[in-house]
Amino acid sequence: MKSTKQRTAVVIGGVRTPFLRAFGDFTPLGTIDLGVSAIKGLFKRFPIAWKEIDSMIWSGVVLPGATVNIGREILFDLGLPMTIDAYTITRVCTSSLKAITLAADAIERGEADVIIAGGSDSTSNAEVTMPQSLVHKFAPVVLNPKSGVKDYFRVLTTLNPVKDLIPQQPAIRERITGELMGESAEKMAARNQISRDAQDKFALQSHQRAAKAIATGRFDSEIAPVELSEKKAVHADNIVRGNTSLEKLGKLKPAFAKNGTLTAGNSSTLTDGAAAVLMMEFEKAKSLGLTPLATFRAWSYDAVDPTDQLLIGPALSMPRALKKAGMTPKDIDLIDIHEAFAAQVLSVLKMLASDQFARDRLGFDKAFGFVDPREINVHGGSVALGHPFAATGARMVSTMANELKFSGKATALLGICGAGALSAAAVMEAV
Amino acid sequence: MNDYLVQLAKKPIFKTMIEKMGLPKLPPALKRSTHPWEQRPFDDQNVMIGQMGSTQLTKTLAEIMVKGGAIPYVEKEEPVFNVFYQAGDAYGRKAQVLKQQKRPSAQLLIYDATNMNIPEELNRIFSFFYDHIRSLDSCGRLIILSRPPCDAENVLSATTTRALEGFIRAMAREIGFMGATANIVYVHSNADYLLEPALRFFLSKRSAYITGQPIYINSLVKTDKIFPDTRPLDGKTALITGAAQGIGAAIARSIAREGARVIIMDRPEADVSAGKLASEIDGSLFFCDISSSSADDRMADWVTKRFGGLDIVVHNAGITRDKLLVNMKQEQWEQVLDVNLYAILRLNEKLIPMMRNNGRMVYLSSVSGIAGNRGQTNYSTSKAGIIGYVSAMSKELADKGIAVNAVAPGFIETQMTARIPFATQLVARRLNNLNQGGLPEDVAETVTFLSSPGAAGLTGQVIRVCGGALIGA
Repeated sequence: MKSTKQRTAVVIGGVRTPFLRAFGDFTPLGTIDLGVSAIKGLFKRFPIAWKEIDSMIWSGVVLPGATVNIGREILFDLGLPMTIDAYTITRVCTSSLKAITLAADAIERGEADVIIAGGSDSTSNAEVTMPQSLVHKFAPVVLNPKSGVKDYFRVLTTLNPVKDLIPQQPAIRERITGELMGESAEKMAARNQISRDAQDKFALQSHQRAAKAIATGRFDSEIAPVELSEKKAVHADNIVRGNTSLEKLGKLKPAFAKNGTLTAGNSSTLTDGAAAVLMMEFEKAKSLGLTPLATFRAWSYDAVDPTDQLLIGPALSMPRALKKAGMTPKDIDLIDIHEAFAAQVLSVLKMLASDQFARDRLGFDKAFGFVDPREINVHGGSVALGHPFAATGARMVSTMANELKFSGKATALLGICGAGALSAAAVMEAV
Repeated sequence: MNDYLVQLAKKPIFKTMIEKMGLPKLPPALKRSTHPWEQRPFDDQNVMIGQMGSTQLTKTLAEIMVKGGAIPYVEKEEPVFNVFYQAGDAYGRKAQVLKQQKRPSAQLLIYDATNMNIPEELNRIFSFFYDHIRSLDSCGRLIILSRPPCDAENVLSATTTRALEGFIRAMAREIGFMGATANIVYVHSNADYLLEPALRFFLSKRSAYITGQPIYINSLVKTDKIFPDTRPLDGKTALITGAAQGIGAAIARSIAREGARVIIMDRPEADVSAGKLASEIDGSLFFCDISSSSADDRMADWVTKRFGGLDIVVHNAGITRDKLLVNMKQEQWEQVLDVNLYAILRLNEKLIPMMRNNGRMVYLSSVSGIAGNRGQTNYSTSKAGIIGYVSAMSKELADKGIAVNAVAPGFIETQMTARIPFATQLVARRLNNLNQGGLPEDVAETVTFLSSPGAAGLTGQVIRVCGGALIGA
């Protein structure tokens, strides 16, 4: 590995599994299996020798309790050399972007030349846990070698059928506020005065663009089919509804609050899927005969107060990343914002346009500027495609890297919000 | 030490019973906050704003409110509404139009009267509060902002601004039954930047027992203008006398909670309670009898060696020896004056040179010191002396950036007041606007605010924590 010269990490390309609604065809596949499928697809598209791979940085949000380092397990299941380092990070919905920028960091620091980064999530396989009180009651008896049948019976008599035996349902609830994420987004919609109509319009745009991208084959190079059995394989996303309309979206009932504005139609849904990106050092890529698509010029990871506006973070991260890149909004050709909820994207856009926000919250003189919702997310986003938490960042990176190449444009700005009021943004540049 | 009527009011059955019987309303349990200072003290609270056109303070006030998490309701009057609307943009707290019909309930009512200079304009105060006082929630806050009468350019202006204080004092008596408070904040024209930290305290739940009084904000004390919203006392060292129990212990807890290292100073006899407190708040202990002549030297040595200096001093130690003057023995007189007044003067000779820049000194006075109290000639003398001392000392120390203030508690539920004869207690507890005694925490929160960097606007003042006692100023 060379570290004397200025090193540049580049994106070679990315591949993902189709994104399926939770409890669909992917239900038998865990997050590890999905990760394996995505990386298999990546190898098919970029057939590099396994000995070239230095490391794997994987990410996940809903992690299996028994094997948290799923990255390492994916590597085993793929049959990759066991001497390759692999670890797993978790940073809510920004996880795989973080994994990718960690890879860029490691490459530019000279720690590695080739890294696979990405993330997977199977919400269908979220673990349902028994109440901790049950564990605490049984553990002393089970762990004591002297306990007999009598002791087990004694514990059984102390059980409370409601408190001890009903499993805890997993939910995307904020631990600190106890709110479902949709409830927090509902509050944001009210506070930033985002109408139901505007949300539905944005959701419609997302669905129509994603449907068009699928129909025209724009995603073909980014999606790898997943084989379920010898006879059956999944080839395409199943959440996108190209035939939806404002009337159909308008009929849906509010999902999170009475008289609310958020519906199943303008929110992202629980999804299973995985996405992987191949990161390399620039010279290394050339020597392997691969064409790099893009580099990362800057990124910014931020956090705000989750009891205030949970998902407003990208409004801070995006201008900050841009500033770190030494660029102005005029230099940005493409903007891609993760759509947890249409209301959240529109709130972020509103704040990006606010001078007051820039002054008070960022300490900048001027706002990022007005961004027309029609100008962002050229191929739709999570509302239409679905949102397997840790795969979304890698999906956005590969779609934008390809878009830079196909459109001949120079720069792309990514923004992602996440639970716990975390956020991320990155500036990508065509090579 | 519990107020049985407040306890009773918490039980719905008794509350309805008493209302049905046509008896006077029970005093409501005040809403308080004893967790650490928060980023948004008025989170999701509705605030109704009244003003006559825009003033010099409009923008500042708008930013304070939305940053603190409040939702402003403003009369649709350009350009004031626009200022609030725009400030709210950054925090997702867009101003709403205040309509005559369909008013929401409000936790905060603010009238910005800083541009009020003619007595006839006082009618505006009547019409604003007449329209909106019914919207005020129980335990709400009502505040009028004004320029101080002493700064008035002419007679009319002085008359007007002083009249507002009378309004507030009467208003405080009218809304006290529902636990709400009313205060007036006089901001000197060159001290607008000091308004934010003060409002964040006086509009919050932390000022639950402060009502019916004027608060002056001026720029006498030198300051670096860095006022943290949370953990205001991080890295500071505080010395609290008489901190082993009662109000002193509450002050120690609350000052430690905001990040300061606390030195608990008390008599050696109080070692058990002081020790428990020290381990609870990770404080340091210093035992001495402040009436002994060697106390000051020992203390100065010890503090210099251990901490190098002090940022906050709270003179809380005090005793009572109540007797009518005709029956009072000389040592009862002398003891009280020695502990409550002379000892402070002695200690301060050593303490003041140890104070760092941006220091804060808080003295515990008493409503007895303001109004006098039968059987307390000695106590009232000593506590009134404190007031004189604070007002003079504040001028001397302002250039060093040290703010000096006194807190005058009214009837606070402590061991000291529990010793008052039962019948007297019953009456004394009710003799204020809020119809109940205060808690040590009420005093502690006030002292903590006065110890914070943001209290730079207040110096030489006496803040009464008395629920608007019917006697006294």
